[in-house]
Amino acid sequence: MHLLEVENLSKSFGGLTAVNNVSFHVDEGEIVGIIGPNGAGKTTLFHLISGFLNPDSGTVKFKGENIAGIAPHKIVNKGIARTFQVVRPFRHLPVIANVMVALKSPRGSRKIEWIKTSQRKAVDMLENVGLTELMLEPAENVGHGDLKRLEMARALATEPDLLMLDEPFGGLNPLETDFLTKSIQRIHLDHPTRGIVIVEHKLYALMKIVKRVIVFHQGEKIAEGKPEEIAKNKKVIEVYMGKAM
Amino acid sequence: MVSAYFLKRIYLSFATHVFDVPARLAAFLLFLLLIFFPVTNPTSQILLLLTLANLGAIFAVSWDLLVGRTGLMSLGHAVFFGLGAYVTALLFVHLGLPPYITIPLSIPVGVLVALIVGFPSLRVKGPYLSLISFAFPLILTGIIYYFKEYTGGERGLYGLPSFFPFLPYKDQFLAEYWFTLLLLFISGVIIYRIANSETGIVLVSILDDELASKASGINVTKYKIMTFVISGIFATIAGSVQAHILRVANTGMLEATISFIPVIVTIFGGIGTLYGPIVGAYFLQLLDGYVLGRIITIPPDWVYAKMLVYALIIIILIILWPRGVARFVTDKLEDLEEARDIDERGSKIWKKYKKKKEKVV
Repeated sequence: MHLLEVENLSKSFGGLTAVNNVSFHVDEGEIVGIIGPNGAGKTTLFHLISGFLNPDSGTVKFKGENIAGIAPHKIVNKGIARTFQVVRPFRHLPVIANVMVALKSPRGSRKIEWIKTSQRKAVDMLENVGLTELMLEPAENVGHGDLKRLEMARALATEPDLLMLDEPFGGLNPLETDFLTKSIQRIHLDHPTRGIVIVEHKLYALMKIVKRVIVFHQGEKIAEGKPEEIAKNKKVIEVYMGKAM
Repeated sequence: MVSAYFLKRIYLSFATHVFDVPARLAAFLLFLLLIFFPVTNPTSQILLLLTLANLGAIFAVSWDLLVGRTGLMSLGHAVFFGLGAYVTALLFVHLGLPPYITIPLSIPVGVLVALIVGFPSLRVKGPYLSLISFAFPLILTGIIYYFKEYTGGERGLYGLPSFFPFLPYKDQFLAEYWFTLLLLFISGVIIYRIANSETGIVLVSILDDELASKASGINVTKYKIMTFVISGIFATIAGSVQAHILRVANTGMLEATISFIPVIVTIFGGIGTLYGPIVGAYFLQLLDGYVLGRIITIPPDWVYAKMLVYALIIIILIILWPRGVARFVTDKLEDLEEARDIDERGSKIWKKYKKKKEKVV
């Protein structure tokens, strides 16, 4: 059984078909990259899986259970956590409190034992992404790169079985990108059974982490395979670079 | 000996939690001032004014929890205020129950109405929620007019008993003042503790970004309803106590002006601070009832000018202190604290530096 199984998923907005009959799967302990040009329907796909949008047709199976169309917070508590393409921190709250919100959810509070208060667990989560120094700073004073990492810490706080990162490297400089790459790899090593899905434009950073890549174009899946194979795939090159003369 | 030990511990915990935080120390001193204010032997009118300020403060703090923390912009908070008044009044008039029983009985009714009023907050957001909430007091007014024979219609229900009927008339005002002050203290502490708990963090997260809260696994609907219920309970208590203090419950307590009192008071005092509304309630109540009219006398032909002056003062002060009076004061206090800290640290470093120098020599 696959961890996440998407079957014939479709969603259209008016006349525009954002996601068209898409099927793919993610296994336990796998890092999957989803790439594609702008408007390929990657973010819509994320919204469909995480429950922020209801699909027109098709199923999303998580651990064998159909989760298509149920409320976002319920999906999180089943074990799928996501980040957003545009950072969405709680601006009035300090960095540590941002993580404590997720620890207050039923799934996040599950593993807080009596000796470990949620503050201490939040510190652990921030340690994962290297944000402990900014712990008490209000989120509105924190820079964009750090907010990206904060989003990840918040998603990790619910101890997800499937982590979905929507453009984690967006707007980061090479140094920050490198740091985040290492964080993701460490998170993967810490929980070997956790599946990770990454949507990304920066192919160079992505290709180093992922084991399998799925390519989208105009709402459809056009290719799937190992990073090396995808880099040589004619169709993919056509989509990104245009047709050869 | 044992009791001395406990006294010392209580003092130490009090010192660390209250005296070390300038804003809390200010609040503590203000509270002491209010407790011992009757020593100055004020007239019963002023005591009544302050009693109403206490109740207005409870009402405004409950609104602040709803709006300043969770971001549910309700403009119909009077529905709870009027509801509390009518529930206690009806229970007294038809069943003859004393206030000590009717006020606790008004709480479950408040919870029920909070659930009903909170329900649209699941469906709509922002200005739409404000508009819908605005309608609730009107609906309750309609219901009250419909059941005229029980509720007294336009005249309302009057002749409610006082809280302390056994005291002489003049002392009742004093007793009621202290009673409402105690009530304000208790509700203030409860709401402050809720707002600063982990639940309070979740409430602010809903205000900041509802979608991100959902993505963190928070059942936003549950928390919104919960805030409505907590806020509704305190507003209901404030309304039912006010009915017994003014000895009357009428539809005036459901009017739009009552809904806007917490809005003005809270924005004036500092929205989202929870202590701001208390300062705001006192400030505006005294400005309206004491400063304009007693200290600055207004000729009887110019009664409407009083409202104009009142409004102008509020506008000017809000422009001067856009984040609220209370925030302005606490910011100033914290600046002082910081300056003192830097000074002390500076002097310590200087001493160390000097010692090192001496050693070297």
